[in-house]
Amino acid sequence: MIPAQTQTPLPDIIGDLLGFGTEMGPGETFIASFIGAALVGTLMLTMTALAGPWAKRKITAAFTDRYAVNRIGPAGLLIIVADAVRLLSKELIVPEGVDRPAWDLAPIVIASSALLGFAVIPMGNGIHLADPEAGLVYVFAVASIASVGLVMAGYASNNKFSMLGGLRAVAQNLAYEIPLVLIAASVVLFAGSLQMSEIVAAQAETLVSLGGVAIPSWYVFVNPFAFVLFMVANLMEVGRNPFDIPEAPTEIVAGYQTEYSSAYFVLIYLGEFIHIFLGGAIIATLFLGGPAGPVLPGILWFIIKIWAVFLFTQWARSALPRLRIDQLIEVGWKGMLVLALANLVLTAVIVGVIA
Amino acid sequence: MSLEEPKATDVGEAPDGTVDYAELEALLGDAVIGREEHVNAPAFVVRPDEVQEALGALREEAGFDYCSCVTAQEYEDRYESIYHLKKYDDPTQEVGVVVPTTRDEPISQSGEAVYRTADWHEREAYDLVGIEYADHPDLRRILLPETWQGHPLGKDYNPEKPQVVPFRENANPLEPDQRGDGAESDTMFINIGPHHPATHGVLHVETVLDGEQIADVEPDIGYLHRCEEQMCQQSTYRHQIMPYPDRWDYVSAGILNEWAYARAAEDMADIEVPEYAQVIRTMSAELCRIASHMLALGTFALDVFGDFTAVFQYAFRDREVVQDILEDLTGQRLMFNYLRLGGVAWDIPEPREEFFEKVRDFLDGLPKKTQEYHNLITSNEIFQLRCVNTGELPPEVAKQYGATGPVARGSGVDIDLRRDDPYGYYEELDWDVITEDGCDNYSRVLVRMREVEESAKIIEQCVDLLEEWPEEERTIQANVPRTLKPDPDTEIYRGVEAAKGELGIYMRSDGTDKPARFKIRSPCFCNLHTLREMTEGEYIPDLIASLGSLDIVLGEVDR
Repeated sequence: MIPAQTQTPLPDIIGDLLGFGTEMGPGETFIASFIGAALVGTLMLTMTALAGPWAKRKITAAFTDRYAVNRIGPAGLLIIVADAVRLLSKELIVPEGVDRPAWDLAPIVIASSALLGFAVIPMGNGIHLADPEAGLVYVFAVASIASVGLVMAGYASNNKFSMLGGLRAVAQNLAYEIPLVLIAASVVLFAGSLQMSEIVAAQAETLVSLGGVAIPSWYVFVNPFAFVLFMVANLMEVGRNPFDIPEAPTEIVAGYQTEYSSAYFVLIYLGEFIHIFLGGAIIATLFLGGPAGPVLPGILWFIIKIWAVFLFTQWARSALPRLRIDQLIEVGWKGMLVLALANLVLTAVIVGVIA
Repeated sequence: MSLEEPKATDVGEAPDGTVDYAELEALLGDAVIGREEHVNAPAFVVRPDEVQEALGALREEAGFDYCSCVTAQEYEDRYESIYHLKKYDDPTQEVGVVVPTTRDEPISQSGEAVYRTADWHEREAYDLVGIEYADHPDLRRILLPETWQGHPLGKDYNPEKPQVVPFRENANPLEPDQRGDGAESDTMFINIGPHHPATHGVLHVETVLDGEQIADVEPDIGYLHRCEEQMCQQSTYRHQIMPYPDRWDYVSAGILNEWAYARAAEDMADIEVPEYAQVIRTMSAELCRIASHMLALGTFALDVFGDFTAVFQYAFRDREVVQDILEDLTGQRLMFNYLRLGGVAWDIPEPREEFFEKVRDFLDGLPKKTQEYHNLITSNEIFQLRCVNTGELPPEVAKQYGATGPVARGSGVDIDLRRDDPYGYYEELDWDVITEDGCDNYSRVLVRMREVEESAKIIEQCVDLLEEWPEEERTIQANVPRTLKPDPDTEIYRGVEAAKGELGIYMRSDGTDKPARFKIRSPCFCNLHTLREMTEGEYIPDLIASLGSLDIVLGEVDR
């Protein structure tokens, strides 16, 4: 029914391959986990590399009747190499009066926090680093660390535009994080577990059978309302249009990242894209059945789902005007929060009465 | 308009809608010490210490609510400020107020208390010519740096003298970084520009923020000052001035600008333009207006949407078509240099049918594209949330600041020189003046979008006319003397409806083939002055949106 979904975590598989045996010592566990994490991290960073310098440009160009990069390599793909060399070879300008080491740490915090989230995401074909019982809580917890990074970057840059960007990031963070968790909680009510593998497994059951085609009980079908809400809240979380307020190029230049150049800029940029992908991964896991899907192997389905969410963010970027900060706060507190609560209560009633 | 109470006629307004200057002179009483005849309208010479009184009377009693321009100049024996006054209801009713001051003590009373717009105009007069205005609230240089030595348009100015200013005296715009009422202050000073993604050129807006809200804004202009007036004063009427107007509002409004100079010079030298040339002028000018409004729409969307999004690209794509047509007609895409005194440079390119077909294709496709813009921009809820009721400019304030063009019409001020002070072929054609009563950013965008449709109507009628025009009557150029030397002391102020509003030219002749004074009344300059009124108490994004909705081009603001 659902293709190869092994319950063995990835480090154990790697431990097996390395011949560590079933009972690994602390050192062996560390080595196996480290290799597993490196694999997952590399996969995500490769996707980011593809998305940032190439896919984003191509997608935006398609929306705006242009060609975008097409000079270097097939379909312009080698622009990734060229851009990487270009960005990394630039001078790292450290402005006067920046608050070190906060200024240096911020890009690392932003980039790594999103990467941490992938530790508990089941990606299919046994690619699943860890499966703690509170997996969902862990994902939201580490994803929120990025906000700390944004504030650090904004505050430490000694630039008023950065400062405004940092303050906006905090305000936005407070406004979206609560609805986001509440909507996720409604999924937890359905699945009855915070464990990622359990949530995915709960979506494997057949919801209805239409003409011999079994529709699985993915929560996007079970509760489309929650899905739409979560998509919007996710846009806020990753700070894409119409909610790219902490950056807002036309208003506050580039917000918290105004003063960053070279490798630091790459890290922040990277962090943003990994964040988008983490958002996509959470959506895939909570609402789209994780790695489930016909014919293709699970990991491919998982990547397709992540990219679908990425495409959505880029679509919104090309088509929607940006909200004003006070309007965003209003949408967050007066709109999203109320709807998310209503959704939670409704789900509780349905689950309580029917199940 | 018809719902308004019938207004009592203003003092000095004859029953047939013309100005009775004798009555005006009686109104001004002792303040008047003489009268001058300018080509556009008579002007009263007023004592320098009675300026406020005279202007006040003209504004309150005689209904001259529009101070179009303030021109300053220096003669051998005196300085002179000229206030060009008009009425928003009927801009053909004009009067000038000439204020002479001695060369030893060039102090004249400020008109700022009567017309807010005089604030910036007088600062410019002080900056470039050197007249000082008593009671002016803030008499600083406006175009040149604070440390500039001398007044470049004055007679004593020595351009050879290097502007050596010690570094410590050179005003650093980034220096007063922490303004406010000391350490306890809740406000934050921030420099938006001169290098900022959304200032449409090199504009520097000194902003004081209270949190995210604007406590005060002060546009700092002059970064793009290129001495356009002086360059025109050193060029001959006949040929050398015409290329310059293209460089004022340089985003494809070239022919509209050229027309401003052409109209003023033709009226000054009494040149009759052939009808055929007028139709071509009208058509090409409206093409320019479409191109300019498309750009305004695209950049405004850029400011509100926040990125180089689809809307910006679409607007540019459509503008490109207009540019191609203009290139076919004029041979240029940006600096057209197409009008000549007494006509245009050349006829429609051969084969004519092909050109007309191209124009018609564009016009036929336009309604669909406009609909696309409405779907994508104006009917978008987020866009409306951002633009409706932000950047409000009440009509009374707009008039005080001398706002014109789409900015005034977006505030419900019904003024359009194409209709109110007809020139070219506009009078013979069927089109409407667009106004919106919202007074906000949204209205200004809407006005521009609807004006594009009106311009398309005008172009279509022009193409019809041009196609039918008998071949033997296609005169593109009147007989104009090779060298143009208007009579000494001829003075004229004339405006046309450029893309951004009234673009006026003041010229004074001294009998040579070059103007003794050439003054440009830039619509962007006056419109930008309203920024503070529009943005106080609003948020930073609204400031950016308001700036975008003003559609300023710094080349025209700074000249």
